[in-house]
Amino acid sequence: MKKIYLHPLPVRIWHWVNAISFIVLIVTGLQIRYREILGLMKFREAVDIHNIFGFILIFNFFIWLVFYIVTGKIKIYIPPLNLKKFVMGSLKQARYYGYGILMGEPNPHHSSPDNKFNPMQQMAYLAIMLLLIPLQLLSGLLLWDAKRFSDFINLAGGIKIVDTVHVFLFLFFMSFLFVHIYLATLGHTATAHIKAMFTGYEELEEEHGH
Amino acid sequence: MSEESAEKISGKSTVGLVIFGPILGMLYVCLLPIIALMTLLVALPELASAKKTDILQSSGMCMGCHSSQEFTKTFRNKEKMSVFVNEKDFKGSVHRFLNCTDCHGKISLDTHPGNSAMYEDRAAFTVAMASACRKCHSDSQLKAKPNHAFLTNKTNGPPCMECHGAHGVKRIAEWKPALSSNNQYCLTCHSQNISKKHKNGETLSLHIDPSGLSASVHNKHDCSDCHSEYTRASHPVKQFQSSRTHSIAVSEACKKCHADKYQAVHESIHFKMISEGNLKAPVCTDCHGFHSVGPKETYETLSGVPCRKCHEDIFKIYSKSVHGMAKAKGTHNAPLCYSCHFAHEVKVTAMTEKIKGACLGCHKDAEEAHAKWLPNAALHLSAIACAACHSPGSGKGIYLRLYDQETGKPFTEEQMLKLMGGTYEGMARKMDPHGDGIESDELWSLVSRLNEKGSNAKVTFFGRMDVSNGSEAHQLSFKKNAVKECENCHSQESDFFKSVTVAVVKADGRMTRYKAKPEVLGSMFSLLSLRQFYVLGSTRLKVLDWIGILMVFGGMSVPIAHITLRAITSPIREAKRLNHMRKEGKR
Repeated sequence: MKKIYLHPLPVRIWHWVNAISFIVLIVTGLQIRYREILGLMKFREAVDIHNIFGFILIFNFFIWLVFYIVTGKIKIYIPPLNLKKFVMGSLKQARYYGYGILMGEPNPHHSSPDNKFNPMQQMAYLAIMLLLIPLQLLSGLLLWDAKRFSDFINLAGGIKIVDTVHVFLFLFFMSFLFVHIYLATLGHTATAHIKAMFTGYEELEEEHGH
Repeated sequence: MSEESAEKISGKSTVGLVIFGPILGMLYVCLLPIIALMTLLVALPELASAKKTDILQSSGMCMGCHSSQEFTKTFRNKEKMSVFVNEKDFKGSVHRFLNCTDCHGKISLDTHPGNSAMYEDRAAFTVAMASACRKCHSDSQLKAKPNHAFLTNKTNGPPCMECHGAHGVKRIAEWKPALSSNNQYCLTCHSQNISKKHKNGETLSLHIDPSGLSASVHNKHDCSDCHSEYTRASHPVKQFQSSRTHSIAVSEACKKCHADKYQAVHESIHFKMISEGNLKAPVCTDCHGFHSVGPKETYETLSGVPCRKCHEDIFKIYSKSVHGMAKAKGTHNAPLCYSCHFAHEVKVTAMTEKIKGACLGCHKDAEEAHAKWLPNAALHLSAIACAACHSPGSGKGIYLRLYDQETGKPFTEEQMLKLMGGTYEGMARKMDPHGDGIESDELWSLVSRLNEKGSNAKVTFFGRMDVSNGSEAHQLSFKKNAVKECENCHSQESDFFKSVTVAVVKADGRMTRYKAKPEVLGSMFSLLSLRQFYVLGSTRLKVLDWIGILMVFGGMSVPIAHITLRAITSPIREAKRLNHMRKEGKR
């Protein structure tokens, strides 16, 4: 079986730290917001844990950013500048998920270290990594010490606005998580992608006769 | 013989007369001044004592009875009066040369002492007796002195005896030492039990307790230092509507020396109330008294604090508070009313930063102490009144106040009126058209109206948690009783978020409160109107909860739908795979 080294160690560490942080932040976030429904821990504990993992996530984001910029691998996130190529690629990929995969067709995208994401992934992750995550980290940081950052909060239109952005993104990430985990099971076996995220090596299905 | 002897004798006596007559005459003339002088020297004291004896003799008849203390006189109203005349007093009086009948002219031995009472009461008797004084003391003589002039012009002025006494009338010379200072000049009358009536019928006592005056901090002052229009030469007659208007008017006098305090009072809520016609509000004299103004310390004790005169209800609450108990125990620096509210510049304290400054003035480490256990301590302290947590059992609520973000100052009712037009009364209708509590959209339309109508301000609501009413802010308790659990507030079910008040402040700090519906805190409109107010968990947007549920279900439905589709289509893939294998096998 052919294997390619798809996920370098820093990326894997970053991914799993991110994953744990996300889970913890979602749980504590829900606890903070829905005190009267959820009783997992005290409000104070939830806030403290949320703050700690918030900072871990901020730190982790910069690990990702520095790694990808320094190695130049950031280009795997950038969709092709050729619009036609990008649209066609996206449609092809969408067709695969909506039809091809059901019909047993092969995935039109073949991951390689230099071309890791299909066009849809590129679009989604570029938005997530360079827009939504930074926005979430920034709004979280402002809310962490609203007094200290009151000028920024006023600039953003008020603490309620900042909080609404933070919560909306939190809800988005929470629902995205279902999709993300599900898509992770769509390798040639259900655990192929997941294993790869631990080992770094993605197994490639032998394409018979090609 | 008899003729002869008579001749002889006459002859002898003629010779003697001729010789001795002139000598004796000369002697007499020479001795006359000496004799006269001696006669005078001997006779004058005699004359004097003779006169005295005469009075005593002529009064003897009267004093036979009136030197005894056992006799009384009964007036028609059954009032009794002793008729005892102290002889010693009378002998020492300036009138000691007068006969009893000189003043008591109507007494006749034929009818005195009679059984029928001539006068209704003692007062009528005194007034009638005073007319006797006028026999000798003319009007013009009396009116030469302003105090007498003042009294004689009065229809019901006090009778002479009120000040001068009856039988012991003193000489002017004896009054002199007492009149040496201006104050005593005034006190001659004002130490008496005198009073006047205000227009509304209230009585103003004009009596001044000299001991109180001398014990006051103003004891070095002349009366005229405060009562500047009154001098020995002038005693204007003033008339006030009531004792309140009188107090307010006389308090002006304090300004002369205490201009700083007077200015502070001018900015106080108390003064504001007076200027609006609420005369119940206190002026200087209500707290400090009139003539017995004590030292500062007088007002800094539990028993002496003047505020309780009006604010007794709050004082009772305070007495049971940690501060009141400490003060009662004698803790010197425990705060009293003035410590937080300030004695003169008394402001409306509701929800002002000033009152927090007062707390932090003593509890200097409060911010640090809170920061040790409370996350975002500074934020908490700025949005929550000290009393909201430190007054156990107090009701709490959210107060929304309009602020101008540009200046950071409250946006006042006056500014609102300027923008929106109308009257104070009409404001309530504009704020809460249905009168059932301000609703979310009404709150939003208010904010947008204030921001659009050419105001240079950036108006927004700031939210704050405070006790439900001012009295409750005084029941501050020990630290251990303070609210410490986050859950008390950070939950949508917290009672503190069930009471929402829109507080519109006047420029002087007073507030008009409008009830708002609790839903305003979590409504979608709050994103526009209450964007500066957010409490974790408690003021969350309802609509965002629903969006969250939709998104999570949406996220979950993607895998579920896809798995379902894959399950349905798995026979197709299976057939394809077999077909493929068959092809492979053929090859």
